[in-house]
Amino acid sequence: MEEILSKLYNMTAFSGMSWQVVLMWVIAFILLYLGIKKEYEPLLLVPIAFGLLLANFPGGGMGIVPAENIVLEGERYKNLFEIANEYGIMNYLYYSLIKTGLLPPVIFMGVGALTDFGPMLRNLKLSLFGAAAQIGIFTVLIVSLLFGFTLKEAASLGIIGGADGPTAIYTTIKLAPHLLGPIAIAAYSYMALVPVIIPLVANMFMTKKEFKINMREMDKLYPPKYQIKNLRAVKIIFPIVLGSVTAIFVPSAVPLVGMLLFGNLVKEIGAATLRLSEAATGAILNTATIFLGLTVGATMTADVFLSPKTLGIVVGGFIAFAISIAGGILAVKIHNIFTKKKINPLVGATGLSAVPMASRVANEMALKYDPTNHILQYCMASNISGVIGSAVAAGVLISMLS
Amino acid sequence: MSPLNEALIITVVGMVTVFFILFLIIFVGNLLIRFCNKYLPEEVRVKKSDKSDDRAPQIHRAIEAAIDVFTKGKGKVTNIRKL
Repeated sequence: MEEILSKLYNMTAFSGMSWQVVLMWVIAFILLYLGIKKEYEPLLLVPIAFGLLLANFPGGGMGIVPAENIVLEGERYKNLFEIANEYGIMNYLYYSLIKTGLLPPVIFMGVGALTDFGPMLRNLKLSLFGAAAQIGIFTVLIVSLLFGFTLKEAASLGIIGGADGPTAIYTTIKLAPHLLGPIAIAAYSYMALVPVIIPLVANMFMTKKEFKINMREMDKLYPPKYQIKNLRAVKIIFPIVLGSVTAIFVPSAVPLVGMLLFGNLVKEIGAATLRLSEAATGAILNTATIFLGLTVGATMTADVFLSPKTLGIVVGGFIAFAISIAGGILAVKIHNIFTKKKINPLVGATGLSAVPMASRVANEMALKYDPTNHILQYCMASNISGVIGSAVAAGVLISMLS
Repeated sequence: MSPLNEALIITVVGMVTVFFILFLIIFVGNLLIRFCNKYLPEEVRVKKSDKSDDRAPQIHRAIEAAIDVFTKGKGKVTNIRKL
């Protein structure tokens, strides 16, 4: 009888329980609460949190095992059938979809099909602030070295400052896959907190006068050089040309930028490729999001997640985010010193990605100071260029460190 | 090379590359806009003549006949307008 009870006990999850496991459940419940109730990036936070929960049920076999477990002699890897057989379906999904780097570019394709380059094309000059706002990535890369991170880990941590989930995940897969869980959580959490972080940083660095700079009035005073006569043609040719240019200069950014621009192209062509565009933004994007979220969440087993490095990632990610916003604001301020046509520094604050939430937040802030100052279109220009900027920065990091 | 030195080099290379690519995007974008403005200006859609105009007299007569029947000869069509 005692033996049967012992077997029964071992059959349940109670035998594998520990305080670390319970703590991971609490973290999962908090993330689920934030995703469901507070609607913080629910499309990703809910699958990530649920993947985390599944991975931390002792005996469930849903946690991702370290890469060393699937390496064979002679730099070969176990095949997917062996992985599925030995470590379960979640590892099968992780090593086929995530470890190969497949899903982030697929998601980028969907993002591209949802992106409108129109505001950027109408205000091309503002794209520069999308470059300035990448400074947070590199600043944190340097600073985190001083706190014991390796160079590859520091680069993965810094990329959170790009405020682009798929880019952060793609870079981390390539450089520091063991940190994938905490970095994904930090990236998406801070993206969800953009409505808090942008006002916080903007209020620190901007004056009332700067908040009131009216972009439309500036446009009337100093009209742009060219008016686009055929926006549709420009929008169709632009992704082709931009993709080619980026591929020539930063080939390592092609998986992300290339797929982004392909998605955008099929959207801009219109009716002839409507089915492709609908697939990219619908079924494909949603399926990719589900598997990305679940598998990334499943990397966060207690022994991986509960380490001092996770705390470092949470703090470092926030600093990267804040510096990126400040970098964009300061770049606009410097620009305003030298030109007559002033730009609202909030446009610079949106130079980090987080499209379109960053632009919406900046627009609302500008409207608070001047109800006629609609800066959404201008913010979108730097916001979209920020997506390209962070993908290029990721490409540089990957090519120099992998 | 120490990791810190390497990180500094990556920072310089990274920021220069990002700025360079976005400068290039501005340059190429402006070039593209000028090219499209010159060689691919938006097609001016010429409003096609309404074919129904050719059939207007028949339609008028049909409406007048219908009104005549409906009002038992009391009504009169003064104006026909497409809504």
